Amino acid sequence: MVSRWMYVSLVILYSFLLGPFIIIFMASFGANANLAFPPQGFTLDWFANVFETSQFIDSFWISLHLALLSTVVSLVMGMPVAYALTRFQFAGSGMVETVFSAPILVPGLVIGFAMLNFFVLLGDMHVMTGLFIGHTAILFPYSVRVISASLRNLAPYVEDAAVSLGANRLRGFLLVVLPNMQAGIAAAFVLGFITSFNNVPVSLFLSGPGVTTLPVSMLSYLEYYFDPTIAALSTLLVIFTVVLVQTAERVLGLSQFV
Amino acid sequence: MPYLEIRDLTVSYDKNQPTLERFSLNVEQGELLSLLGPSGCGKTTTLRSVAGFIRPDAGQIVINDHDYTRLPPNQRDIGLVFQSYALFPHLTVFYNVAFGLRMRRIPKKEVKERVTNALKMVGLEAFANRRPAQLSGGQQQRVALARATVIEPQVLLLDEPLSNLDARLRVDMRQEIRRLQQQLGITTLYVTHDQVEAMSISDRVVVMNQGEIEQIGTPEDIFAAPETVFVADFMGFDNHFNAAVESVQDSKLTVTWGGAPIELRWHSKFGSPPSGARAEIFFRADSASLLAGTEASGLAGEVILHTFHGNEVQYLVETDLGEFSIMQDSDSERFAPGAAVTVQAHTQKWIAILEETAARRVTGEKNDRAQAKY
Amino acid sequence: MIRRPNQTRTIILLVSPAFIFVIVFFILPLIFLLSQSVLPEDGDFTLRGYLDFFQSRVSWIVYLRTLKLGLIVTGICVLMSYPAAFVLARMPSRRRSFLMSLVILPLMTNAVARTFAWLIILGRRGMINQTLLSLDLIENPVRFIFTETAIVLGLTQLFLPLMVLPLVSAMENIPDDVLEAARSLGANRLTTFLRIVVPLSSDGLVLGATLVFTGSVTAFVTPAILGGPRLLLMSTLLRQEAVILFDHHAAAVVAVVMILTTLAVNLLLRVLRVQQS
Repeated sequence: MVSRWMYVSLVILYSFLLGPFIIIFMASFGANANLAFPPQGFTLDWFANVFETSQFIDSFWISLHLALLSTVVSLVMGMPVAYALTRFQFAGSGMVETVFSAPILVPGLVIGFAMLNFFVLLGDMHVMTGLFIGHTAILFPYSVRVISASLRNLAPYVEDAAVSLGANRLRGFLLVVLPNMQAGIAAAFVLGFITSFNNVPVSLFLSGPGVTTLPVSMLSYLEYYFDPTIAALSTLLVIFTVVLVQTAERVLGLSQFV
Repeated sequence: MPYLEIRDLTVSYDKNQPTLERFSLNVEQGELLSLLGPSGCGKTTTLRSVAGFIRPDAGQIVINDHDYTRLPPNQRDIGLVFQSYALFPHLTVFYNVAFGLRMRRIPKKEVKERVTNALKMVGLEAFANRRPAQLSGGQQQRVALARATVIEPQVLLLDEPLSNLDARLRVDMRQEIRRLQQQLGITTLYVTHDQVEAMSISDRVVVMNQGEIEQIGTPEDIFAAPETVFVADFMGFDNHFNAAVESVQDSKLTVTWGGAPIELRWHSKFGSPPSGARAEIFFRADSASLLAGTEASGLAGEVILHTFHGNEVQYLVETDLGEFSIMQDSDSERFAPGAAVTVQAHTQKWIAILEETAARRVTGEKNDRAQAKY
Repeated sequence: MIRRPNQTRTIILLVSPAFIFVIVFFILPLIFLLSQSVLPEDGDFTLRGYLDFFQSRVSWIVYLRTLKLGLIVTGICVLMSYPAAFVLARMPSRRRSFLMSLVILPLMTNAVARTFAWLIILGRRGMINQTLLSLDLIENPVRFIFTETAIVLGLTQLFLPLMVLPLVSAMENIPDDVLEAARSLGANRLTTFLRIVVPLSSDGLVLGATLVFTGSVTAFVTPAILGGPRLLLMSTLLRQEAVILFDHHAAAVVAVVMILTTLAVNLLLRVLRVQQS
């Protein structure tokens, strides 16, 4: 059924998807500062520049902390919601589902802008707090959906079995449900972490003086400089992501949840 | 003194249409009682109410004279075997079976002893360290059985335990469950939709339909003497026709078959209908035989179709009373489609159900009662 | 589903922490935004902001350009993904899962990094200009950056995975037998593809198209880098109104128009899905 021209389309698709990464990779080792193509010479100066630019280092740590914190919080709060949605039938479950999927329906930039205005209204909120709230809110759809999927894979009868053998509901959950959800939780974690770590539009408005996430600081760097430093940083991030995603895919089969 | 009593149980998922309404049933100590019926008849609801997963709107569950109705399922001391086995995928066979004992804080040494024993009973002692995913369906079922019985529950509940197994394994497991149940002397409620399974495993069978008990009895009773149209149908009485009662006396009910009267078994508990009352007569394909030509001793008919089944041949015969399916030994005389035959009744296995009973059962007692309520 | 005693209390206990969080920190800000768009800082309720927006030529141009580019990007993504997704769906599963993880990879890298590559490709001394110059096809470098073409390329690369993934999962569900049946009944490959594969994967197509379109019309990073300050889309317009012109009232109007646009597209998706089933 698959004919030859279809394979051609596959090659086109992949060169379009992955080509830009190869170009970034090449540019990050090139000696010419004006990004002329093809790159001349070989240097690691741009990588050194990444580590010498304090705005990148500072914002990297902020992004890392932010991603870890908001992912964990959205998981801890999202898991009970997923449990309620998959294990009970109740009036209003449709409404709950809509509310928790809303953050992916609203454009990120609008969310950031609306939150900024609202937080100003609320008074002096710390920039980091604002970022944390924004990121946690946009991660709920992912954590609720992925955890729900993994809960659906586990028949509710398994919990009933634990209860019929004498465990109460909480122990049944801790001893039987949770251990069987490890893969789902880990997948939700990786997905949430990457979503938060890469987010630009929500962070854009919520960032403040001295408190910026890595992607936003990359964007503002681009406004002033046009040199391969960003390419070098991107290369580092791609390697970081490839390692993370490939590990997750190998171990958990991430693509089934995306 | 019944061991497990279900008293006036009422359960409704939908307020206007109760699944069970004032349902009562007693199970004797050490007895294996089957709930048999089609899906949606309320048998699983009954079972889950006993297990405590459904809180009934009204009624009581009493076990060994203690009221269980308000007790949460984890405090009930009931062994439950699920249709899907519901084994814990992350635990080994040993820890699956040990789970209930550990919940009861039994000392480690005793746990090991009892689990080992339970696994021995189901022939899985060599598999203690496997995960459920590494076992066959039959082995998983055995683990589920060991897990439910090792806690020495007051009552064992089995919910369609064999329906996920292939036909041959089902027969083996059936015997194994029965053997284990008798060995442990455990009072057991067994839910199934398969009549053969219910017949072969039970002390008594309860046939259920639309949340009501159609008939309770030993497998032999239910098989040979259905008391309602539903049970007759469910028990594989393929043929039926409507007839006028001629007379009733001495446990015999007489109707006309072709030119001659035939006598059917009749129990006085069903009353003595006047002559002329309508009755529905049921018989299985193997309790009639065919003779060539037209004879006065039976009902005249014409062969429409015949199908070969190895040891037997099945004929579809058209008569004045309707079409009947009749099984004959394949060694006996064969008839081609179009042949004129006489159908002879082997009435010792035939049954009669009065139409007034039949109508009440078939057109839905539910509706009648619903109307009466308003 | 399981029926359990005290259900309502349990459900409230499970759902409310996260629910309150989302209501307070997500829904309320949006409601506040909506109120900002009809209540200027110094005045009473007015729809002037919306009238101004739709009467201004500039904002009309920006809005229509945003929709137009969104449609073009969606179209290109469909054309590029459909045959390729079919090949992927018919592959042995080990090879497929490797290739699928390569599709996901760009999705997992931040948009700034991904868009930056296009500056290298399309820049004055970039790959394309250098190639054209060395082939003597042009005498002076052509300006590609800050054009609609650049934005379309950037967005297409960004959102292609969102089209490929739902298409592949829809096509995986088409059994081989069905395709073989079509062939045995006399359909050639192309007819089978158009008459069997396309209708049976339309679910994935509709979902993918919605994701790509809403993504494209709300994306910020790509138009910010490849469109620049002059070639505005809705997102860059919002940013300009809010941060540079500091007109929160006008920015709120832009934001609400963006929300309504994405909601309308999602609603359309629902309607299409309902019709299909």
